[in-house]
Amino acid sequence: MKKFNIILFAGILVFASSCIKQLDIEPLQSIDASQALESGEDIESAIVGAYGIMHGGALYGTNLNLIPELLGSDNYLLWRGTFQSYRQIMNKSVFIDNAEASRTWIQGYRAINIANNVLANLAKVEDVDQRSQLEAEARFIRGIMLFELVRIYGAPYDAQGSNSGLGLVLNLVAVDTEAEASVEGSRSTVAQTYAQLIQDLEAAEPNLPDSYSGNNRFRATTYAAKAFLARVYLQQGNYAAALAKANEVIESGNFELNPAIVAAFGNKFTSESIFELYNNDQNNAGTANDGLTTFYASLPGIGRSDIRVLEAFANQYESTDDRRSQLIYRGSGARPNQLQNGKYTNFGQNIPIIRISEMYLIRAEANIRLGSALGAEPLQDINTVRERSRATTLTAVTLDDVLKERSFELAFEGYRIHDLKRLKLGTGTFAWDDPKLVFPIPEREIRANSNLQQNPGY
Amino acid sequence: MNKRLLSCLVVLLLFSGITSAQISVSGRVTGAEDEPLIGVSVALKGTSQGTITDFDGKYMIDVPSSSSVLVFSFLGYKQQEVTVGSSRNISISLAEDVSALNEVVVVGYGTQYKKDLTGSISKLNSETFEFQPLQSLENAIQGRAAGVFINSGSGKLGQAMNVRVRGQSSVSASNQPLYVIDGIPVVSESIGSATEPDNPLASLAPEDIASIEILKDASAAAIYGARASNGVILVTTKSGKAGKTRVNLGFYTGTSSPTRKREWLNAAEYRELFQYAAENSDFGVFDGAEEFEANTGTDDWNSTNDTDWASEAFQTGGVNNLNLNISGGDAKTTFLISGTYNDQKGILIGNALNRISGRLNLDHKVYNNVKIGMNLSLVKSLNQRVPSDNAFTNPLQLNALPPLQPKIDPATGELNQNTLYYNNLIDLVNGYNNATTYRSISSVFAQWDITKNWSFRSEYGVDWVNLQEDQYRGRETLDGAPTGQAFNSQATVINQNVQNYFSYNNDFSDNLNLTATVGMQYLDGVNTSTSATGEGFPNNKFTKIASAASIIAASTFESRYAFTSYFARVNARISNKFLVGLSGRVDGSSRFGVDNRFGFFPAVSAGYILSEESFLKDNSTINFLKLRASWGKTGNAEIGNFASRTLWGANFVGNVSGIIPTQLGVTNLTWENTAQFDIGIDFGLFNDRISGSLDYYQKNTNDLLLNLPLPATNGYTIITKNLGSLENKGWEVAITSQNLVGKFTWSTEFNISGYKNVVTNLNGSTIDGGARQMGRISEGEPFGYFYGPKYAGVNPANGNAQYEATDGVVYDQDDFTSLPDSLRNQKVGDPNPDFFGGMNNRFSYMGFTFDVQLQYVFGNDLYNIAGFFQSVNGDYFDNQSRDQLDYWREEGQVTNIPEPRLYSGNGAIKSSRWVQDGSYLRVRAVTLSYALPRNFSKRAKLDNATIYVSAQNLFTFTNYEGYDPEVNATYTGNVNLGHDFYTPPQARIITVGFNASF
Repeated sequence: MKKFNIILFAGILVFASSCIKQLDIEPLQSIDASQALESGEDIESAIVGAYGIMHGGALYGTNLNLIPELLGSDNYLLWRGTFQSYRQIMNKSVFIDNAEASRTWIQGYRAINIANNVLANLAKVEDVDQRSQLEAEARFIRGIMLFELVRIYGAPYDAQGSNSGLGLVLNLVAVDTEAEASVEGSRSTVAQTYAQLIQDLEAAEPNLPDSYSGNNRFRATTYAAKAFLARVYLQQGNYAAALAKANEVIESGNFELNPAIVAAFGNKFTSESIFELYNNDQNNAGTANDGLTTFYASLPGIGRSDIRVLEAFANQYESTDDRRSQLIYRGSGARPNQLQNGKYTNFGQNIPIIRISEMYLIRAEANIRLGSALGAEPLQDINTVRERSRATTLTAVTLDDVLKERSFELAFEGYRIHDLKRLKLGTGTFAWDDPKLVFPIPEREIRANSNLQQNPGY
Repeated sequence: MNKRLLSCLVVLLLFSGITSAQISVSGRVTGAEDEPLIGVSVALKGTSQGTITDFDGKYMIDVPSSSSVLVFSFLGYKQQEVTVGSSRNISISLAEDVSALNEVVVVGYGTQYKKDLTGSISKLNSETFEFQPLQSLENAIQGRAAGVFINSGSGKLGQAMNVRVRGQSSVSASNQPLYVIDGIPVVSESIGSATEPDNPLASLAPEDIASIEILKDASAAAIYGARASNGVILVTTKSGKAGKTRVNLGFYTGTSSPTRKREWLNAAEYRELFQYAAENSDFGVFDGAEEFEANTGTDDWNSTNDTDWASEAFQTGGVNNLNLNISGGDAKTTFLISGTYNDQKGILIGNALNRISGRLNLDHKVYNNVKIGMNLSLVKSLNQRVPSDNAFTNPLQLNALPPLQPKIDPATGELNQNTLYYNNLIDLVNGYNNATTYRSISSVFAQWDITKNWSFRSEYGVDWVNLQEDQYRGRETLDGAPTGQAFNSQATVINQNVQNYFSYNNDFSDNLNLTATVGMQYLDGVNTSTSATGEGFPNNKFTKIASAASIIAASTFESRYAFTSYFARVNARISNKFLVGLSGRVDGSSRFGVDNRFGFFPAVSAGYILSEESFLKDNSTINFLKLRASWGKTGNAEIGNFASRTLWGANFVGNVSGIIPTQLGVTNLTWENTAQFDIGIDFGLFNDRISGSLDYYQKNTNDLLLNLPLPATNGYTIITKNLGSLENKGWEVAITSQNLVGKFTWSTEFNISGYKNVVTNLNGSTIDGGARQMGRISEGEPFGYFYGPKYAGVNPANGNAQYEATDGVVYDQDDFTSLPDSLRNQKVGDPNPDFFGGMNNRFSYMGFTFDVQLQYVFGNDLYNIAGFFQSVNGDYFDNQSRDQLDYWREEGQVTNIPEPRLYSGNGAIKSSRWVQDGSYLRVRAVTLSYALPRNFSKRAKLDNATIYVSAQNLFTFTNYEGYDPEVNATYTGNVNLGHDFYTPPQARIITVGFNASF
C-alpha cells in the first residue's frame, strides 16, 4: 500500500510540474514585443504599420485633411453633422476634451514611436540597401508627422518672427518599457520643431527610392520627401528653398497631370500622385463611420453629407471648370440637394496627399515672389493646371491669381487653414494668429504629463 | 464524503476479518416505508470495523461480544445505535433526518455537514424551484439566497444576467461569480459577437440540477483561490439511487406576456402636443404638419391613422417543456438518464429559445474501494435573438414611431417604409438572427479509498461550447440595404480540467475529528472563432454567404489560458464544540505577468457551537447555536488573457499589412486581491422549527486593474496596473421556519441582505459611463453611482426647465448650461440597492401544496436614458410617454414637464429628470400543486403523480414608470448599472403541468 502511495504521489508531482510549464502561453492574435522586431522583414512590417497608423481617421484618413478645412471653413464649407467634435472645430471653439484634438495627437505620436522603434532596431536589418531605405522611411514618417502636428497644435510659423512659441514635444527615442513611456517630456519651440522635421526630411530624401511598383506605391519616394520639403519651406516663407524642391519634383519627369482631374480621385496611384493614401474596400477609415467619404458624400447609400460646400465658394469657379462641374455636385443621398465635394465618393478609393499640381503651384508662387522663372514661367505653370481642368487660360498672372488657383485646385484636400495662416489672412473674424486657430493640447495629455504646457487661450 | 468513509470501512473490514473469530450478526435495514436502504454503514462502535448493507438492505457483521454496539448511519437519516445482546438478527428501520443542520453541503473538493460549517454558504435544493418554468439556473437562485443579487436585465430570452455575490468586487475585471458544475469550472461569460452578451448557462436544463451551493465568504471560497473573489456557485446534478428503476416524466405548458406595457400618446394627443411644440419652438413659429412633413417626408400628419406601435413589439409568448428522467441501479452501479425538450417563445416579436438536452450520470464500483463514474451531458439550443437595445432594429424602439404613421403602407400594401425611424417589423419578414449552441459538460472520475482514512480522487472534465451565429438581413432592411447582408460566426470554447486530490477523515476520538483535503488542479481554456460577412444576395431566398457577391469581412480568432493550482484544507472538530478550518491555495496562471505568476490564497475560520455547552445543552428554546468567524484572501483572475504583455499586432494599408505596437504591459501584472472577513451565527430554535443564520462581512479588494494614463507623446496612452481598491460591507439574514407541522403544514423561508459598496482608491481618476449615461466610478462613492445635472422641474414663470447647481441655486436651463462643470454635475442617484431578498411560503394539506415566492429590491435608482427621446415634452417627433401631456402652457402653472418647444432642447439635457426609484416587490413565483392520492396513483401503476399550475412574475409593485424595474441595459457597459434604454420588460409566465413517476 505504501509503495502505491509513493508511486501515486510521485506521479502527481510529475504531472503537476509539467502543468507549470503549460502556463507559458503565447498570444496568437498578436505577438510579444520581444519577438516583434527581430529581422529586416519584421522591421519592414513595422514601417508599413506606421503608414497604416497614418492611414487612420485620426490622421490622413480624415483629420489631417478635415481639421484644416473646418478651421478655415468661413465662406467655404459648412459642417451640419451631429458630431459635436467637428462642429466645435468649425466654430473655432475647440474644447480641451475634443475627441479629434485627442485622437490626432495620440495617433500622430504613435506613428512617430513606430518610426523611432524602426530607427532603434536598424542594426538587425542585414541588407545594407534595405537598412538605409527603412531608416529614410522612418525619418520621413517622423518628419511629416511633426510637420502635421506642429501646424495644428503649435503656434503658427511666422516668417518674420523668432518662432519661439510653443511647438511639439520632440521624442526621438524608441519606447517599449513603462519607464520610457512614463517620461514627461516638455514642449520645444516652433523653431526647434521645424528644425527637427526638416532635418528628418532632408535625411530621408536622398535614401528613399525613386519609385515603387505594385502594392508598395503608397510608400514614400525621394520625391515625396522633396514635395513635403517644398510644402514645409513654403509654410516657412522660405520661397527659394520651396522653389528648388518643387522644381526638382517637376523636373524629374516622374509625374504628369492626368488628362482629367477626376481621374486623380477615382483611380489608384495615377501619374500625378506623389504621395497617396492606399485604401481598399475593407481597409479604409470610411467603413468605421469615419473618413472623408462618410462625412462629405451624399450619394444613394453612401455618406452622411455632414459637410456641404457653400454656394459662395462654388460660384467662384468658372462654370466650365471641371473642378466645379465634376468635383462639386448636388447631393442625392443623405441631406440631399445641397452642394457637395465630389473628391471623395467611395470608401475604398485612394486619397491623394500630394499631387503634382501642388508643385506647379508652389513653383509659380515662389517664382513670382522671387521674380524668377526657374523651371517655367509662372503663367505657364498656372495654365498647365488650369487647362487640364478646362478653365480658361490666363494671359497674365499675379500672386493673387496663384493663391486663388491654389484654393481651386487644392480645395477639400487639407490646405485651407495652413494657407490662411501662412498668408496671414485669418478666417472669418479670427486673425491669422488667433489662439483659437490653434488646437488645445488634449486634456488627457495635460493630465498625464505635468510638464506639458497648454496652448494660450485654453 | 460519507460514501467514501463507508468504503474505507469496507477495506478495514477485510483486514479485521483475518485477525479475529467472533459472533456473527445479520439483518436488514429499511426506510419508513419498508423499502430497503442500500449502502447503510453498519459500524462496530468504538472500533474502526464495519460493513455496509447490500442491494436488499441486508448486512452481516462479526462482533466480538454481546455487549457490542452497532451504529447504523446513512446519509439523510438519523443515526441509530443498537446493542447486540442475545439477538443474532437485528433488523431496523431508520428515520429520515429532516433537520436542516444535518444536511450535507457541497464545498469545493468535498462535502461537509451543515452544522460543521465555519464558512458562509447558501444551499438550494431542487425542491425549492421544482414546477417552475426557469429560463436559466440563475433564476432558481434569485431572491432565495441571502447576499446574492440577481438582475435578469431584460426580457429577452437567452440574455446574460447580472449576478453579484456580496457586492461589486471589481472595476474593470469581471464581477460575475465562478460557476462549477459537478466539479468542473464552466464557461459562463458570453462568447458571442453580439453587443449584448449571451448567456452560456441558459443551455443547461434546470431539471437536471439536484442542488446549488453558493460559496460566499473567503473560508468557503478561498479553496478556489484566484477565481473566487466574486463568489463561487457550485451546481450538482442529479444522480441515480440504488433500488428499483424510477421513471419520471414531467410536462408543462404555458403562455407569457409582458409584466407591463407603457402608455404612449395616441394620434389626437400626439397632434396636440406637437402642434403646441411647433408653434413654440425657439427657432420660430412653425406649423406641426409642415415640420412633420419635413422630417418624415410624408403628409401622415393629416391622416386618420392611430397606430399603437408600442404594442407591435410584443407577442403572446409561451413555453412547452418535456422532461423524462430514468434513474436507478444496484449496489455496484447507479445511473441517471435524463432528457429535456424546452421550447420558449418570447414576449418580443422574433424572440425564441429552443433547447434539447440529454444527460447520463453513471457511478460504478469496480472494487469495494474503487469507484469510477462519469457525468455526460449534451445540449443543443437555438436562440432566435433580438437586436441590442440600442439598435433601431430593437422591436421596443417601435414605440418611438408617431401614431400618425400607418404600419402598412396603403400605397404598396407592404410594411410601411416611410416611417420617422426604421420600421423594424421589416426585419422579421426579411431576415433572421439565429444563435445555435452545442454544449457538453462532461467528466469522468475515479475514486480510490486507499485506507480507512485516506482516499484519492482523480477527475477529468471537459466543457465544450460551440456557438454558431447565423444572421441574414434582406435588402429591404435597415442593415441589409441595398443588396442584402449575411453574417456567420462560429465560436468554440473548450475548457479542460484535471484535478487530483487526497481526502482524509479521522475520528481520533469523540473529542477530535479531523478532515483534510490536499490536491492539485490544472485548467486549460481555448477560445477560437471564425466569422464572415457577405453582401450582395440575389434575393431573400438565398441567405447563406455562399450566395453573397462579395465577402466584406472575415476573420479568425484564437486565444488560450491555463491555471495550475495546488490546494489544501484542514477542518477540525474538537469536543463537538470547537470547529477550526484552514485552507490555502496556490494559483498560477498564464494570465498573470511572469514576475507575479503565482498567488497564495489562505483562509482561516473558526466556529464555536455554544449549544453543546452545559448551560445551553437541553435548553428547550435554543437547540442549536453556533458562532463562526472567518478571514481569507481570494483573487479575481478575469483580467484578460494577455493583459500583462507588451504586444504588437497587425494593421493594414490597402492590400498590404504591417505591424504596430498595440499594448504596453507590466510583467508583474496580476490578479485582483480580496481580503474578506465574516462573522456569523447559525441557530436552531424549538427543535429546529426555526433555524437560520446571520452574517456580517467586510470585503476589501485591492490591486484593482486600472488604466494609468501615460503621456501619448511616448507612443502609448495607457498602461494597465494593479492600482485601485474598493470595499463592500454587508449583512445577511436567512431564516427558515416550520410554522405549522402535522396534517396542515406551513413553512416560511425569508432572507434579507444589504451591502454598502465604496470605491476607495482609483489613483485619483474617475471612470465615466459615457456622454448620455449617468454611471460613474469615483473615489469615496459606490460603484456606478449616478452623476450628472440635477433636474429641478419647471420655472412656473416661463416654462423653462430648471436645474439645481451644486451650490443649491436653481437656474433656468440656458443659464445652467453655461456654468462650469464643477457646478453642474453632482451625485443624483445610486443603482445599488439598500437591501434585497425574498420570502417563500409553502402550505401543504392533503396532497395540495401552495407555494408563493416574493422577491424584493429596495433603495436602488434607475435611469431611463431613453427619456431623452420619449419623455422630453415633444422636442423631436418621437412619440412621447403620456405623462408629457401635463406640460407647462401658461404662466404660473406648476408642473414637472417643461414647455414643449420643437427642436429647442427644453429639458433635454442629461439630468436626473429620468432618474427614479427602482425599488420593487414582486410575486416572483406562485405554484399550486396537487399530488394525486397514493391509492389512486397506484391504480394507475404510478408511484406518484402531481399536477400543478404555476405563475412567474405574477404581480410587481413599484413606483418605477418604465416597463419593468428589473432592468439593466447591458449595451451601456459595465459602469452603467440600472440603466434602461428601450429595454424589454420581464415576462409573466403562466403554466400548467404534471409530473409522474413509475
